[in-house]
Amino acid sequence: MALNPRDLNKYRADARAGHKLMTPEERLKLFQPYLPPPPPRSRSSSPRVDEITNARSSSSSSSASASRTRQDRKTRLGVRRFLLRQYHQLVFVIIHIFFSVYIRLRQAYHAVANRFYSVYYYHHRTPELIRRDVKGLRKLPKHLSVILTLDDQGRRSAGLERLMNEVADVAAWCASAGIPELSVYEKTGFLKEFLPETHLAISQQLRSYFGRDRPSLSVRAPHMPAIESARSSSHLHGSAGGGGIGSSSSSGDEDDSSGFHLSVLLISAEDGRDSMVDLTKTLAEMSQRKKLKPDDISMELVDAELTESIMSEPDLLILFGPHVELSSYPPWQIRLTEIFHVPDNQGVEYQVFYRGLRKYAQAQMRKGR
Amino acid sequence: MSDLYLSRIRNWFLSSPPAEWALNRLRSTLVGALAQGPIPGHVAFEMDGNRRYARSHKIETIEGHSLGFEALARVLEVCYRCGVKVVTVYAFSLENFHRPKYEVDGLMQLAKVKLEQIIQHGELLDRYGASVRVLGRLDLIPPDVLEVVERAMAATAHNTECVLNICFPYTSREEMTTAIRSTVEEYSTTPRPHSTAFSQSRITQKLLSKQAVSPEALESIRESPSPPSSDEHELDQDHDHDDAVSTATTLHSSDSTTALKSGCDGKEADEAAAAGLEDSDDNGKTAASPRIYPNPETITPETIERHMYTAGCPPLDIFVRTSGVERLSDFMLWQCHQGTHIFFLKCFWPEFDLWHFLPVLVEWQWRQKQKARDSERARRRLKQE
Repeated sequence: MALNPRDLNKYRADARAGHKLMTPEERLKLFQPYLPPPPPRSRSSSPRVDEITNARSSSSSSSASASRTRQDRKTRLGVRRFLLRQYHQLVFVIIHIFFSVYIRLRQAYHAVANRFYSVYYYHHRTPELIRRDVKGLRKLPKHLSVILTLDDQGRRSAGLERLMNEVADVAAWCASAGIPELSVYEKTGFLKEFLPETHLAISQQLRSYFGRDRPSLSVRAPHMPAIESARSSSHLHGSAGGGGIGSSSSSGDEDDSSGFHLSVLLISAEDGRDSMVDLTKTLAEMSQRKKLKPDDISMELVDAELTESIMSEPDLLILFGPHVELSSYPPWQIRLTEIFHVPDNQGVEYQVFYRGLRKYAQAQMRKGR
Repeated sequence: MSDLYLSRIRNWFLSSPPAEWALNRLRSTLVGALAQGPIPGHVAFEMDGNRRYARSHKIETIEGHSLGFEALARVLEVCYRCGVKVVTVYAFSLENFHRPKYEVDGLMQLAKVKLEQIIQHGELLDRYGASVRVLGRLDLIPPDVLEVVERAMAATAHNTECVLNICFPYTSREEMTTAIRSTVEEYSTTPRPHSTAFSQSRITQKLLSKQAVSPEALESIRESPSPPSSDEHELDQDHDHDDAVSTATTLHSSDSTTALKSGCDGKEADEAAAAGLEDSDDNGKTAASPRIYPNPETITPETIERHMYTAGCPPLDIFVRTSGVERLSDFMLWQCHQGTHIFFLKCFWPEFDLWHFLPVLVEWQWRQKQKARDSERARRRLKQE
């Protein structure tokens, strides 16, 4: 229990003097009233308690037989415990009733607020608007990571299409804001199987945002070759080569976007713990062949390997879910990543993205100092 | 001015005996009530904001840390009364060594004094059945503190009810690296010999005699009795050994020992690796030759988990970070990863109390209920289809 102010002051005075003011006995006496009863778990201690109660009861009522009083005590204790339990359960139910009312209210409030934000901050598919939003920010993440979920309601194809649209949206926002690296985490890894399709979806989205003068794009997944597209001349439109020249000539007035390259990385649960397990396997094999001593394994080595084969540490992680749950996100890489989520939010929206960037700009890094 | 008066009056009121009694009743009722629902098995606290609290209240930094310790005691009490099995706290990061020396020394002294208190009042922790464990780079702790740390761990080791993990000089990346390193060590130290019903020497002789006839036949023999793939993924440390393995490994005893020792990576080393590959995940009982290693392919996340500092602890359910910073900051990265609910709270750690922890716990319980309901619904839908 929380100490009452008098005892707390006594304790603090003692602590300030390096615990030399009081003897251990005095200190124990100070804490005694706050301690819970000795745990009933150990069977060895229960006879002792019984003896005490027995002694007390026999002294108070000498007429009753010792065994009967003991039983009497026990049942009364049982009844009391039972009542206490019922009481606690009642309070528990009440707490949860109130809490579910509270959380409904909170969700409603957040839903309204999010609606407001999404009207207030809207991109209108114009990079200029996004750029204007971002302009005031002190710093931007170099590497942004998002967690998306595959909404697997029966049919996979519908979920996949939605997921691809979401990826394309986020990628377009990143390109507009000037974030060069985006990693998209999706737990099942379903998206990775559709690398070319994802590339197509993103480049179409970029076209609808930027028109002819769009940034170059590469989409890749760990251990898979990247799909690149040169700036403004995607391999889908072989005739767009002229546009490429046009954009490079117009780079004078739009140097922000035209020299810009966006790389999108798709990762999944297997790039998390499993990749570390794979690394361990390789290291163990090397060690078994005496190519490496276990002492050679350092943080730098592991970091270099994981950065090389999976990805570097993202600066900002945006979750579009209602609460923070990492769901098997790569553990090594999120060391100092700023984690952003909007409470009770559902769905991928620009306002979440923008607020995440704003939050990141305000955050300060101390690194334990 | 009126603010000051108000807070005085409030303090006076709160310290009056009836109010105090009522508050205490309320606390124990709430704790008792919470214990009726699902209870997280493992909770981690990142105790952030002691210094900022000290700065905002214009007290010494080290005072802030002392208040932080009091907050920790309060929270531990709530946790253990609710029935939380393991509480992990982040007390000191490896990065914290970069702080000014006087503060580092102060923190070390604080830790020493508090741990000495724990040793002195062992019965306090016994009441909760709690044992203290210090996790991290113990070799970086100054020797006088380390001695106290070890005594405190020994003094409470007999308690099994619940555990307090204090991450002392700790970072999660260091923990993961150590786990990887010790896994590699485990897999590259030679297992001890064992005995089966089959005589290995007899098998070897038989095989060698065949080898003498045709060296190519060796390959087929080695390949054919290789354990099935399901066996390779066997997690169990002491499942029975395939004798095919011992044949394969004893077979190359003459040539691959030297090959390995010289660090050569030709065909022979490959063969030795193949021998290792065929070997199943087994520590205790393998053939006598010194080059049999457990198969690295049998390493699983659970293997690495066993080498973490938090080995044996239930999976992390709740992660709480105070002071409004929304980062993990190198704490419990490996553990936070799956079903952990992460809460970032605005308050500074010294202010942290039941009133801050209660909403977290209730929300967690609510989400658990929600999750159960969702999965129930999904199952029903599946059944209908």
